[in-house]
Amino acid sequence: MARKIPMSLVLFGVLALASFAALFWQSRLITVQLGDASILTGYTLFVTILLLGMFNARKKLSMIPLGRARTWLIFHVVLGVFALALFWLHTGGIWPLGLYEQLLAGSFYLVSASGVFGYLLQKALPSRLTHTGIEIIYDRIPAEIAEIRERAETLVIECTKETGSETVAQHYVGTLFWYFQKPRFLFAHLFGGDAAGFWLRGPGSAARRYLNDVEKKLFDEILDLAALKAHVDRHYVCQGVMKKWLFLHIPLAVSVVTLAVWHLILVNVYVL
Amino acid sequence: MERPQRWSTPFGPDMSDADITSLFERDDIAAIDIDRFPKHTPLEGVLRNDTRIVRYRSGDIVVREGDYGNSAFLVLKGNLRVVLAPKLPQSMLGRQNAKKKGFFEALSQLWTNSTIPEVRNLSGYEQQGLRGSSDSPDARVFLQDVPVVLNNHRTAMLREGSLFGELAALGRVPRTATIFSEDDAVLLEIRWQGLRELRKYDQGWRRKIDQRYRESALKNHLQESSMFARLDDTTLNAVADKVLFETYGAFDWNVSFQRLRERGSSQEAPLAKQGDYPDGLLMIRAGFARVSVQHGTGDRTITYLGAGDHFGLGELYAAWKNPDIEDMAMKTSISALGYVDVLRVPAPILEEHVFPFMDPPADTLMELAEHPVSDDALMEWAVEERFVNATRAMVIDLEKCVRCDDCVRACASTHGGNPRFRRHGKSSENLMVANACMHCTDPVCMIGCPTGAIHRSLQSGSVIINDMTCIGCATCANSCPYSNISMVAIRDSNDRPITDPESQKPIMKATKCDYCEGQPGGPACVRACPHDALKRVDFHDYNPTGSM
Ligand code: SF4
Repeated sequence: MARKIPMSLVLFGVLALASFAALFWQSRLITVQLGDASILTGYTLFVTILLLGMFNARKKLSMIPLGRARTWLIFHVVLGVFALALFWLHTGGIWPLGLYEQLLAGSFYLVSASGVFGYLLQKALPSRLTHTGIEIIYDRIPAEIAEIRERAETLVIECTKETGSETVAQHYVGTLFWYFQKPRFLFAHLFGGDAAGFWLRGPGSAARRYLNDVEKKLFDEILDLAALKAHVDRHYVCQGVMKKWLFLHIPLAVSVVTLAVWHLILVNVYVL
Repeated sequence: MERPQRWSTPFGPDMSDADITSLFERDDIAAIDIDRFPKHTPLEGVLRNDTRIVRYRSGDIVVREGDYGNSAFLVLKGNLRVVLAPKLPQSMLGRQNAKKKGFFEALSQLWTNSTIPEVRNLSGYEQQGLRGSSDSPDARVFLQDVPVVLNNHRTAMLREGSLFGELAALGRVPRTATIFSEDDAVLLEIRWQGLRELRKYDQGWRRKIDQRYRESALKNHLQESSMFARLDDTTLNAVADKVLFETYGAFDWNVSFQRLRERGSSQEAPLAKQGDYPDGLLMIRAGFARVSVQHGTGDRTITYLGAGDHFGLGELYAAWKNPDIEDMAMKTSISALGYVDVLRVPAPILEEHVFPFMDPPADTLMELAEHPVSDDALMEWAVEERFVNATRAMVIDLEKCVRCDDCVRACASTHGGNPRFRRHGKSSENLMVANACMHCTDPVCMIGCPTGAIHRSLQSGSVIINDMTCIGCATCANSCPYSNISMVAIRDSNDRPITDPESQKPIMKATKCDYCEGQPGGPACVRACPHDALKRVDFHDYNPTGSM
């Protein structure tokens, strides 16, 4: 079902467009009059960057009524796009000349790219997790995997005891143990592939044809646990990436603010 | 015949033979005709198993206005006072003082919240008028200065032989007044099952209870319905005299629901069956009922009804309009979801006072049955899990939720650093109802709290717990059918567990979502979600695909 476009997105979008158009017009005017438009665009960009940082501050101030984080996120995204356009207007191109400016531009591009990356992740991954049919809190995942492994190993022992045959145990030690040990097929899970299922239907269940009926029943239970673990692994990687991209985005954002402050000081001291 | 099952857990395990004998010597009990009671539920058994003798000291609060309760009281000895006006302040009743935090007070939580879990400041606990601990059976809140209360508040006296609390016990409505013991008093507390038996088998008790109900609540209830709004007082009284009131299911439905859910089965008391002849309109007064139609080999839920809804109007109207049709029958069935309290308005009353003056009712129920079964999946699930009881269920759309836990952190930031819900719970398709208090229409957790610490806020309607008067008995946590109340061991600011000086046991407190009572800006969890994934909903109005 098509999602409705939030009103605040429309509002912020129109505001951003209008502000950019006004800035563009004003900077052209200043340039035509042989002035330096980069002061106007630079200071606006600096304020924009600080405003972008406010989104993180909002998260720390949930106890006071600062409006809905949803509205803040929309504001943050629109402002991010605005900042990128403003950056190009300010630098007059895509890549500046000086070394320090290149460092600043590089950080700025990285923080923008990480922002876009995070935004896309947050749009794509939740439904991938929902479709697993299970829900699990991230911090519980290692314990959950250990529990699944323990249950699988109990079944292996039960199978050996009950049938006197070691076929399942050998297959477990030789093949399945690797799988149950820790999260596997992370890239496939992240990109929506089914490598885990493919492996489980292939090497993972290769021993099945050599089993009798009693062994088969217990072995199938082990395979059910393996399928459950595939879901848990998917949660592990997708939830992990959705949490960890911020460890890239936020430090980069802090470095951009720091570099921008220094840039501002330098410009004020040496150029103006 | 085996004795009724509930009697395996008597209400008061200490009822002795001497107690029973002395009860039978009282006029109000002696007047009961014991022969009317069936062999399997003799009066003596009712008294022994469904009642208990409770002693109160001067100032003890017996019932509080706004509390929910499952029992009624008969005064055996002593005098009680009903507070008429002005009402007692909330703090005197052991409740939380509702005070909205200012901006700076709210902000100060940024640095005052502790990193140690469940830290409490002990000084506040000492000023509470609280008797007993979680181990004592008679723990309760008491008024510290009875003469002052009597001086400053208008009260009415309840003397020996008075019966009170029966309407709240039988109708699952909040207690309408606060009653305290003026001097040392002895009361007979009768649990709802016993009260039902007394009303059922004894004419005197039935008359007494029904008359009070007709006088106090029934007329108001009828007046609230648009169908009867045009009737004058005399006609309304005549109608009220003919209306029957019935209760289906068990008041402690939460207990059986938990048990049945573990066994994967459900048992619902039927009110009317599809195919039955329509004999009266059912008006739901309290509780919930499921409306279903036969579908394949099962019953398909098409909707559920709550307080204020009615059932059977379409069929009754059709029967009145078409008197020639002989096999007029109900098109749907209705059964109690847990328990339901209904008024049955006989068909002749409607035919005389209502139908001639109304437009033909729309057949909305049958329209609902025409939807594909898959459209009803969410509602069927909400009914099955009894989420229909919620007024503010925390529903998370898992297709939008990025599992960032900003909601949990926001909750902690407004509750001293301790989150009051778990971002985990039952799911159906992409919706998850998280383990957060749902502030139920029928708050079963509020029944049995010995100090009234858990109560409904008068300002917001949220169910909240006064930490100061919670004695950690876990009655509420054990009653909550959704496991949304947690018991926590409290600690001091040096991270040492706080223990009872006598027993050395850790002091426990019940904790749960309070819907950010007193915080500016409403529930922090909703505000904190950057992806619009988390909503607090009443399933009655919830449409996950549309806006709320
Ligand atoms: S804040 Fe929203 S997106 Fe984050 S975990 Fe809570 S419900 Fe999910």
